[in-house]
Amino acid sequence: MGAVLDPRVEEYARLLVERSLAVQPGWQVMIVATPSSRPLVEELVRQLARAGAWPLVRLSYVDQEQVPFDSLWATEAPEELLGTMAPIEARTREELDAWLLIFGSENTRGATVLSAQRRQKLRQAYVPFNQRRLAPGFPWVGCLYPTEALAQEAGMTLADYADFVYGACLLDWERERERMSGYAERFDAGETVRIVGGGTDLTLSIVGRSGLVDDAHYNVPGGEFFYSPVEDSAEGVIEFSEFPAVYQGAICEGVRLRFEAGKVVDASARANEDYLIGALDTDEGARRLGELGIGCNPGIQRHTRNTLFDEKIDGTVHLALGAGLAFVGGLNQSAVHWDMVKDLRRGGRIELDGVVVQQDGAWAL
Amino acid sequence: MGAVDARVAEYARLLVERSLDVQPGWQVLIRAQPEARALIEELTAMIARRRAYPLLRMNFTQYPSDEAWASEAPLDLVGEMAPIDRYAADHMDARITVDAPDNTRGVAVLSPERRALMKRAAAPFFRRTIADEIPWVGCQFPTNALAQEAGMPLAAFEDFFYDACLRDWDAEGRAMQRLVARFDEADRVRIVGDETDLVLSLRGRKGEVDAGYTNMPGGEFFFSPLEDSAEGTVYLDVPTELDGAPVSGIRLVFRKGHVEGASAEQGEAELLAALDLDEGARFVGELGIGCNEGITRPMRSILFDEKMAGTVHLALGASYPKVGGTNVSALHWDLIKDLRTGGRIELDGDVVQENGVWVRV
Repeated sequence: MGAVLDPRVEEYARLLVERSLAVQPGWQVMIVATPSSRPLVEELVRQLARAGAWPLVRLSYVDQEQVPFDSLWATEAPEELLGTMAPIEARTREELDAWLLIFGSENTRGATVLSAQRRQKLRQAYVPFNQRRLAPGFPWVGCLYPTEALAQEAGMTLADYADFVYGACLLDWERERERMSGYAERFDAGETVRIVGGGTDLTLSIVGRSGLVDDAHYNVPGGEFFYSPVEDSAEGVIEFSEFPAVYQGAICEGVRLRFEAGKVVDASARANEDYLIGALDTDEGARRLGELGIGCNPGIQRHTRNTLFDEKIDGTVHLALGAGLAFVGGLNQSAVHWDMVKDLRRGGRIELDGVVVQQDGAWAL
Repeated sequence: MGAVDARVAEYARLLVERSLDVQPGWQVLIRAQPEARALIEELTAMIARRRAYPLLRMNFTQYPSDEAWASEAPLDLVGEMAPIDRYAADHMDARITVDAPDNTRGVAVLSPERRALMKRAAAPFFRRTIADEIPWVGCQFPTNALAQEAGMPLAAFEDFFYDACLRDWDAEGRAMQRLVARFDEADRVRIVGDETDLVLSLRGRKGEVDAGYTNMPGGEFFFSPLEDSAEGTVYLDVPTELDGAPVSGIRLVFRKGHVEGASAEQGEAELLAALDLDEGARFVGELGIGCNEGITRPMRSILFDEKMAGTVHLALGASYPKVGGTNVSALHWDLIKDLRTGGRIELDGDVVQENGVWVRV
């Protein structure tokens, strides 16, 4: 590993420990990471030590796994074992006080390929912890450490990619909170959201639902505010034509979804359609929307084939198929939560109860 | 990673099927470091096929200790294991430790107080394995750092490594059982060699053979000698290390089982600090006899060096209750004596090994 620590790593770790999680003495904080993220993991461990908390470091080589080597294990284990976690792993997740996930892949295509059936069973094993994590008040954060593989995925050199990552993460988050809260208040007062753009005219109801601003608490980078829309409200069509839809290492190009009474009744993709359909068929809830998010991060202007960043692009919205967010009133249950990002910066708009609030990615509030 | 060495699968099979004999439903905790990837992947797949769960605890340092954390955490926390980890230690069904360092000198400097507390915190993790309540095995995975320590290129080191580990362990076990039976009958062991003449009593104690069970490589049989019996001097000439610090050329003088005099050509401060760790650190917890013919030269790895055929080792500190030992200490440090050039072992006055070769047994 490089001997000289990028000074931004220390600031980044401080943001995660002090702002995102607000770690308290005596906490047990799980850190799920890859060996490539070593400088950040070690800095986090030092800062947790100073905060009087225990780190539970869990390294794996693959980004999408909550339990190290889960997919590899799941290719070989008898199928009836896949739906539940090992008792010690399950109990660990019932008792930990905070959870920190660092994406830091060494190969974004390095995940073990599981059959759809096995993948689906394995996702069931994650459900209890995901429910606990997404309940109100539980401290968790997902973030990323810049690696060669992620830079490659973004089509950038590592140095440029690191600048991009820290440019999106090390913001004045109090200022961002105030700015985004202004937009969210306007949405909270609204009922019907309409998204219009290339191949897209979709309406959603957020009546009775309150939005939440992510000012670097759930994700770093933060830079979005989001809702769980009323589960049976989505009507119309959306085409994710500008960016590929990326989920757990799989890429679907040109996804088009048609909704009726909240449910996807027609789905297609220009590439990898089978994967899309497989995900939609995971369970009952996978065809309904769990989230509507509005990207607001001024440090993110380009797509880097990484949902954590892409969904925060200023001037985009994203819809997540699957699990709703209980902490903002979402009711939909699913083992899937797949964010798909729609670019509105060229010829798109957001209407709130018939009033245009954003045009071509620029706020009209 | 390049193409997987076919020996890795054989090695993993030995660990899962022989050393642990993993059973359906078991939760097998794997402590490892990132460079052991090829082995971890094989272990994961084999444990899955046995309908069991691997609990991977991979970190840059060896779980459950983390020097980066122990160097900065409040002192009252350093001595205590996280409750979640404690639960895992109390409920795991088996444990594999894979040492795969990327730098054998990468151990962070800790104050003696913090290092002692860190070891105290880890003690509950080892309680059930030291007591042999659950199956366990300690092993390594060949890395460049270990090859460098052994003074070899990685490819040559891998050949050496697998020669020592991939053996006919049933045959090795039978051969060592014959030797241990002869020792079990004897009262008095005398070790004679360069600057060495040491007597220990084994009266009433039984030996145990490791034929590829708790260590990989296996290839030793060992006793906990009577705690007050060691008399004489010993020159431990195989270089070793303690917490990442090299220590070599150790001379010890024993009276009534107790170390009365100690010096080292290198790392004497570490040696003296270890002896002062606690009451039990100055007593011999183990006498082990190396029998692994695949290990023909020391490589600065205690796990391998102590198994080298023609050597004996004395552990300062904790003894093994399972072989009748009663010495208690936070230390268990194996120090190795090469007898192949001018040494011998006597049992009740009979020479049983001369220059590392067994005679009349």
